[in-house]
Amino acid sequence: MGLLKVSASPHIRHEDTTRVLMSDVIIAMIALVIWGAYVFGLRVITVTAVSVISCVAFEFLFNLIIKKPSPVGDLSAVVSGMLLAFNLPATIPLWIPVVGAAFAMIVVKGLFGGIGKNFMNPVLAARVFLFASWPSHMTNYSEPLMRLPLFGEGIDAVSSATSLTLLKSGQLPDLSVKDMLIGNMAGCIGEISSILILAGGLYLIVRRVITWHIPVSFIGTVAIFSLIFAPSEINALTYMTAELLSGGLMLGAIFMATDYVTSPVTPKGRLIYGVGCGLLTMFIRNFGGYPEGVSFAILIMNLFVWYLDRGTKPVKFGGGKKNAKA
Amino acid sequence: MALTFKGGLHPNGSKITARFPIEVMPDPQTVSIAMSQHIGAPCTHTVKKGDRVLKGQIIGLSDSPLTCPVHASVSGTVTSIVDRVGAAGQKIVHVVIENDFKSEYSPDIKENTKALAEHSFEEIVEIVKNAGIAGMGGASFPTYFKIASAKDKVTKLIVNCAECEPYITANHRLMLEKPEEIVKGIRIVMHALGIQECDVAVEDNKLDAVRVLENTLAGDDKIKVKVLKTKYPQGDERQLIYALDKIEIPAGKLPADVGRIVINAETSAAICHAFYSGMPLINRIITVTGNCVANPKNLLVPIGASFTDIIEFCGGYTGEVEKIISGGPMMGFAQWDENAPVVKGTASILTFKKENKKTAFENCIHCGKCVGSCPMRLMPLYFASFAKLGDFEACREFDVLSCVECGCCTYQCPGNVPIVQYIRTAKGKLRK
Repeated sequence: MGLLKVSASPHIRHEDTTRVLMSDVIIAMIALVIWGAYVFGLRVITVTAVSVISCVAFEFLFNLIIKKPSPVGDLSAVVSGMLLAFNLPATIPLWIPVVGAAFAMIVVKGLFGGIGKNFMNPVLAARVFLFASWPSHMTNYSEPLMRLPLFGEGIDAVSSATSLTLLKSGQLPDLSVKDMLIGNMAGCIGEISSILILAGGLYLIVRRVITWHIPVSFIGTVAIFSLIFAPSEINALTYMTAELLSGGLMLGAIFMATDYVTSPVTPKGRLIYGVGCGLLTMFIRNFGGYPEGVSFAILIMNLFVWYLDRGTKPVKFGGGKKNAKA
Repeated sequence: MALTFKGGLHPNGSKITARFPIEVMPDPQTVSIAMSQHIGAPCTHTVKKGDRVLKGQIIGLSDSPLTCPVHASVSGTVTSIVDRVGAAGQKIVHVVIENDFKSEYSPDIKENTKALAEHSFEEIVEIVKNAGIAGMGGASFPTYFKIASAKDKVTKLIVNCAECEPYITANHRLMLEKPEEIVKGIRIVMHALGIQECDVAVEDNKLDAVRVLENTLAGDDKIKVKVLKTKYPQGDERQLIYALDKIEIPAGKLPADVGRIVINAETSAAICHAFYSGMPLINRIITVTGNCVANPKNLLVPIGASFTDIIEFCGGYTGEVEKIISGGPMMGFAQWDENAPVVKGTASILTFKKENKKTAFENCIHCGKCVGSCPMRLMPLYFASFAKLGDFEACREFDVLSCVECGCCTYQCPGNVPIVQYIRTAKGKLRK
């Protein structure tokens, strides 16, 4: 008889590991890759593959160099890779996702201690970095259904304005609500189809990977803000619909702002965080220098996560005021 | 709708033994009886090597106000008095008795001829104290002390039959097979405290037991069977009182402070034995189960029987055993010694096979699942991260001392962080 194993309770564990949760996120995003490939051509697959492979490779190599056990098995780098690709236009030169992946996995995630330690969403930080460094590449959107081939440069594609650039200049995009909802429009690879993103979000909520708090408060705040501050010459509801279905709002609210590491853990904290993201998004969209504010809004709110966690610490069981007198 | 509380979780029940009737294990060759089987002062042994002892005879006593006498569970000869290291790492004196298989009872054990109504509060407390009854749900708080300190404070008795830990079915079987003993125990406590209300709380995965109890209680409108939603840790008395009455026990207070006294089902049966037949607590029902024992059973075993003897009676191991747990899988103690003896608080023995599973390294991903499942509404992730950094004061600020160590956070953790272990480290450092 061998020695008995002695360990602290509990002695059983739930089967959902980080890897299982990340697999669910990947499942929720697969339809977005397929839809992106349908609208912008097979080049979407190439961009996504390059991005995913670079993220995994940089995470693996970085941990190899610093002599830490490889965390690649938790699949979080795959999720990052897919999300990074989702934030790029289909015409993007293929070296850009490689640079972005290096920035996300090494500078933002690795140097701060790897998964769970980074204080900013690596993908969004990389997106902003790429946006600031190569703005023309990052905003070179191709026409929907003008499909780009699997291989070859996409730079010669005819550029198309996104609905956000139009909104910024006070015009309504020339698109039907149906086209905006299903994602028949110009934009980044994974941000166009609101309906598929919402379906993915619903899947994640049902599977208890994320909770409803951040998506609902984020999107809800944008909706209310745009209803109140709609330009007088445009119908408020039409304006709100355009704001909700344009740009990266849905992708941001459902897949980016809910990143575990960089969002609060309490229900109240998550609601405040979502409202903050929504307000900042609308401030930037309306008063800022950029047409899109989702990335900046989330990154700024990332910085408040510790204070939101601490500030919304639940009242412990039996610690309420009602109980204080008892 | 079944009553419940907020937070908690639903682990796989694994109640393999729910349909197995309680078997009586024959008394073993030797028993090893711990002098401290309860919260409070340990007893000093009143017998020495070579003494002959009788079944039910007191062999350990203490003068301390909070303690619980210990009795011999077999008749025979004291062969040694030894120090053993218990599962929690503390040294405990054990009296080892060689069984003479005569099963000769101590003359102190006498049937009670006086009716319940004629007993005073003090007499009942004395009976419970002399019988050495300590809470049999696992915490082992001396029951006489609980009853004594509830006098004039409580208005309702709650009998905890939740049995929310996976695997364990001892209380379930007791309710099915000997419901009248539980009910008699309830009436004794109600009479002692002069209270008119009792809830018997059962989870809704044991509806057969609910029916049996309701039949036993037919016509008694003071004692009600309440059905609770099956959820862990429903059996924690704070969550139990909340589920039944929607009262939160204020932090640092006891059930008596909100007018409730909570006792375990088997404790109630033990009170019944002590009162009517004068029998002290010398045996108990345990569930022997897990994936490494040949014939899982619900067993009536003498206090002091070794885990080895019990597992042998259940057909031995079916493979290489890696873990033996005393208690449930969520809060039980992993044993380092397979010869550990049964104590009054041992509700089950779980055996687990060696698994060739690669253990993932721990890494908090800040998902917040621990916050969602904490029944005490704490933020367990921060206990783990601050304890890891050695910042125990920060753990205190996050109310680590309110943690009941139910294990929900750790069970849920996708990052494999041993949160409860960090919590214990922090509590230990803060209490120094």
